[in-house]
Amino acid sequence: MQKNDQADKFIIPIGPQHPALKEPGHFEFTVDGEIVTGATIRLGYVHRGIEKATESRTWVQNLYLLERVCGICSHIHATAYCLGVERLAGLSVPPRAQAIRELVVELERIHSHMLWLGVAAHEAGFDTLFMYSWRDRETVMDILEGLTGNRVHYSANILGGVKIDVDAEQTKTILQGVDFLEKRTHHYLDVVTTDSAFVQRTAGIAVMSKAVAEHFGAVGPTARASGVTQDIRIDAPYLAYEDFPVEIVLDTAGDLKARFVVRVQELFQSYQVIRAILDKLPAGELAVTMPRRIKENETISRVEAPRGELFYYLKSNGTDKPERIKIRTPSICNFGTVPALAAGHQLADMPMILAGIDPCFSCNDRMVTIHRPADDSQTWTWEMLRQYGISYYREKER
Amino acid sequence: MDRETTISQSLESARILLAPCTQQLLTPEPGRMDISLATADLLPAVAALHLNGWGRLVAVTGLDLGVNEGDLEVLYHFCAGAAIVTLRVRVPKADAAIPTICSLIPAASFYERELGEMFGITVVGTPNPDRLFLPDDWPAGVYPLRKDFVVPEIPG
Repeated sequence: MQKNDQADKFIIPIGPQHPALKEPGHFEFTVDGEIVTGATIRLGYVHRGIEKATESRTWVQNLYLLERVCGICSHIHATAYCLGVERLAGLSVPPRAQAIRELVVELERIHSHMLWLGVAAHEAGFDTLFMYSWRDRETVMDILEGLTGNRVHYSANILGGVKIDVDAEQTKTILQGVDFLEKRTHHYLDVVTTDSAFVQRTAGIAVMSKAVAEHFGAVGPTARASGVTQDIRIDAPYLAYEDFPVEIVLDTAGDLKARFVVRVQELFQSYQVIRAILDKLPAGELAVTMPRRIKENETISRVEAPRGELFYYLKSNGTDKPERIKIRTPSICNFGTVPALAAGHQLADMPMILAGIDPCFSCNDRMVTIHRPADDSQTWTWEMLRQYGISYYREKER
Repeated sequence: MDRETTISQSLESARILLAPCTQQLLTPEPGRMDISLATADLLPAVAALHLNGWGRLVAVTGLDLGVNEGDLEVLYHFCAGAAIVTLRVRVPKADAAIPTICSLIPAASFYERELGEMFGITVVGTPNPDRLFLPDDWPAGVYPLRKDFVVPEIPG
């Protein structure tokens, strides 16, 4: 990634706040007419100093901090951290807890992939698909909320296990939801592979060969869409992936369309594994006791987040606080491929190419219905807003 | 072949590839190998793994060994399947410089930029030494992930 310093080139700065991405990032595209010839990336607009902050918090406090690294794949961060800390402390976590963690991981992957499907469709101007996929995504959001009490930061983990259990009633709800989503996913697979207007935006665009994907260190579905056989769930199984395995989803086309196909097909793997877990959920305890201090040691924890390999390096120093925690998220690996993918494409393809790697977006907006006294002017129901709108325009017409 | 055999075979082949550069070899936990190197041997060691197709660079971790310690450490983590090899290089804080590995692995650019801004390590020859995460007006010479950097209290 060279610096953009050629004075005779035309450079278009995009961002940090811009229409393509909902999270801030700054890109400078060098263009020759409409064609992009190079790109540089400047990140850090949402840098919060979390790695530094972990050093002044206890192991337990850090669980809650690290779950907030990401607003989409929050559970996988907490899980990667827990697995690492438990290894440092020499804990053996009960199988039921590991299976429940895996269940939440896969539910989270469904929500993340469906969120991405909507965002990516929106970038292509296909807002119908965006709205349908986000409507259906509510099914899995409701399941997650029913299971953990939260929609975004589920807080299912504690150091040493989980704090939630799955009962027969919840199992039934989850299975019903998964059946519905599976049916919808077949439809989405059909749409992204056959809708001619949509396929024009994706087929043959931003093609990344296997060699290029490996060269730039792509991970996750972005890499698998280029035929790279890499999935930490299979390569180095953690949680209960030995007992409840997934199969790798690969495509060799390496274009944007392949990235759609791989992510949508991964949903089927998640449905399959959720059913398997619920069918044979191991009995037993949910957690073991975690010591407050951890002797000096270091470990590495790798998991497959929805966007690819998530890497944690943890170092303890004998106190109740970590000496160092290093987090390497999948998006930073995939960002590295953007300059290579961008070259030779039209500027108008850039939003789709960026969305194609599924850079980590935040999302925690939702409509809340709060029961408050009717005279509370701060809380407006949908009906009140509607009535207000009707009377506002009536007044205006007079 | 079961997974454990594959892991030990991977680690054994890495051990042989890295033998010429190895100063100290540790196996801190199953599936992991930790190899300390001289700074001058970093590039040959990375080349030995990379050019022989041993795994991929997964992350680069900077470590400050402590306020009263004179050294920083840089850890290059390579993974092949479930096997993890960490190359460990020690540099003095007074003259914190390491060679770039971007000539072999261009994906290391982001990690090297991070080392520069967070630990004050000069990565000699890195293609883009600009800041990646810290703001443009961040004071020069202040490296937040060093242990002597204390996060200022927010009043109130």
